[in-house]
Amino acid sequence: MATAAESNRVHVKSQKMIKPQSQFVLGLRRFARNRLALVGAIILFIIVFVTVFAPLFTHYSPNAANIMDTDAPPSPQHIFGTDDSGYDNLTRLLYGGRVDLTIAFVAAFMTMFLGTTYGAISGYVGGWVDSLMMRFVDVMLNFPFIPFIITLEAITNTANEWVLIAVVGFTAWPGAARFMRGVFLQLREQDYVIGARTIGARSSRLIFRHMLPNSLSVLVVLVSFSVAGFVGLNAGLSLIGLGLPINVASWGGLLAEHSNYLALRTEPYAWIPPAAMIVLTILSVNFMGDGLRDAFDPQARV
Amino acid sequence: MTAYIVRRLLGLIPTLFIITIIGFIMMHLMPGNAFQALLFNPKIKNGASLLKNLQDQNGLNLSWPQQYVNWIGQMAHGNLGNSFEYNQPVSQLIGEYLPNTLELALAAEIIILIAGIPLGVFQASKVNGKFDISTSFFAIFLFSVPGFIFALFLMFIFSFMLNWLPSIGTVTPGVSWSGDLGDRLSHLILPALSLSLPAIAGYSRLTRGNTLSVIVQDYVRTARAKGLRQNKVLFRHVLRNSIIPIVTQFGFDIGGLFSGAVLIEEIFTWPGMGELSVNAVLNRDYPLILATLMIFAVAVLIGNLIADLFLAAADPRIRYS
Repeated sequence: MATAAESNRVHVKSQKMIKPQSQFVLGLRRFARNRLALVGAIILFIIVFVTVFAPLFTHYSPNAANIMDTDAPPSPQHIFGTDDSGYDNLTRLLYGGRVDLTIAFVAAFMTMFLGTTYGAISGYVGGWVDSLMMRFVDVMLNFPFIPFIITLEAITNTANEWVLIAVVGFTAWPGAARFMRGVFLQLREQDYVIGARTIGARSSRLIFRHMLPNSLSVLVVLVSFSVAGFVGLNAGLSLIGLGLPINVASWGGLLAEHSNYLALRTEPYAWIPPAAMIVLTILSVNFMGDGLRDAFDPQARV
Repeated sequence: MTAYIVRRLLGLIPTLFIITIIGFIMMHLMPGNAFQALLFNPKIKNGASLLKNLQDQNGLNLSWPQQYVNWIGQMAHGNLGNSFEYNQPVSQLIGEYLPNTLELALAAEIIILIAGIPLGVFQASKVNGKFDISTSFFAIFLFSVPGFIFALFLMFIFSFMLNWLPSIGTVTPGVSWSGDLGDRLSHLILPALSLSLPAIAGYSRLTRGNTLSVIVQDYVRTARAKGLRQNKVLFRHVLRNSIIPIVTQFGFDIGGLFSGAVLIEEIFTWPGMGELSVNAVLNRDYPLILATLMIFAVAVLIGNLIADLFLAAADPRIRYS
């Protein structure tokens, strides 16, 4: 009997378990299918690569003054010519990219961090605390921007790029705070949050374990658009002279150097490359942000 | 509705006060003051006592709260003080520079609305058609280029290469047609364009999105079924219903336009509030700083108020909150 039972045992071919893909990987795949976003990612990668590995592309140093050869037009030794102090333009372009990209990314992260913390607390607690905090954000948002930046720069010493990052981040966090507060207000009413609260989860666990991971996709998109905005803002500030000092190579600084009438007119090879780099960076980050938003949106119909 | 308006207006006043207080404190935190340069001028004998006299005259030796109260009291009487740097009454300076900025901002807003909204509507009416895809791509491109880079390129192409348009100031000095409408327009075009082009892209995207969500509604289908021409359908039914969020955004952007104009004014040497406020801060010209701060803040607050009023007009829930 036992042998019959044995031979009658149904042999089920064990099915290969397909590992379920996480939301993140699914989103990445959707992102990869979006051609514009891929192009943006590639361009951004090229720009970052070229600036980080700048010594590979040019053997000059961005601070090596060479007064024998100032204001030279493009030539085989100096592909983009030289500027007033004899610095090679291509070198300043590449090394300046480091500064610009660093400032943009770090400032974006700082703004996100500050804004999210503030907005999360405000949105989660609600009630009069929320009203008060949002009042403060309203006041900060209504504060005219340029005088604020100028005054902050006058008070602090922004020759140091980290101070500039702090200043720029300090002026931009109210926008992020207001946005994240809206997101958290929405998330607070979701079923899983209500359920977790019902069984007695602590607030910190709710925020960190449930709400924050679900707002991550929105955060990523916001960071990418902030980076784009900050690249432009930084360049604009340097153009007026409120950014880094001009002797530090940066794209905005290059534009500021050559924005006088004579240089604009006669030396297009000096200011068009930095302008083009700024535009390319912002474009690629915007495309990536668009792609990320479409990829991680749970209601996308791809 | 009027109750809502009154409530919002009353709510503006504390915000304005807090902004002035914050501005006042930050202004005094800046190192140096307007007169310290006198100490470094070797031709002035007795610099220290002259400095002290000037400071006493202008009330800089009083405590901060006392200075603040003085300034508020003066402003309530309409006296904005004398600029330290220009040695003119501040109200006179503002009267000279503010109209230029208003002219620029107004021209830019008109261009944005006239170009951006119809563009968005037409894009939405033929969704994913050739027109839509090509102009959408173009719009995203324009959106990514900051206004001042536009300014540089426009100036390079139209002023330097083609020599069609001037690139400096508001009027051409010294010629007989200086100050004419045509002259002013030719000076206004490039700055207004560079201020408005990035925003046109943003507004056309916004309009496109809103119009798309309205166009799929049933009443639009009914209108088409009745036999209305596409144009009439678009502009009479669809636009009226999708315009509210756009005008709201417009209200929020008014403040941003003033700040964005600072860079453009710098590049085109347009004598406006931007240059005035930047110079004021750099020269520690306290009355001027406070006055320009007030004007920027009032502009932003009024813009936000207009936006909120439109929102309240559209969504009754907001009126009673």
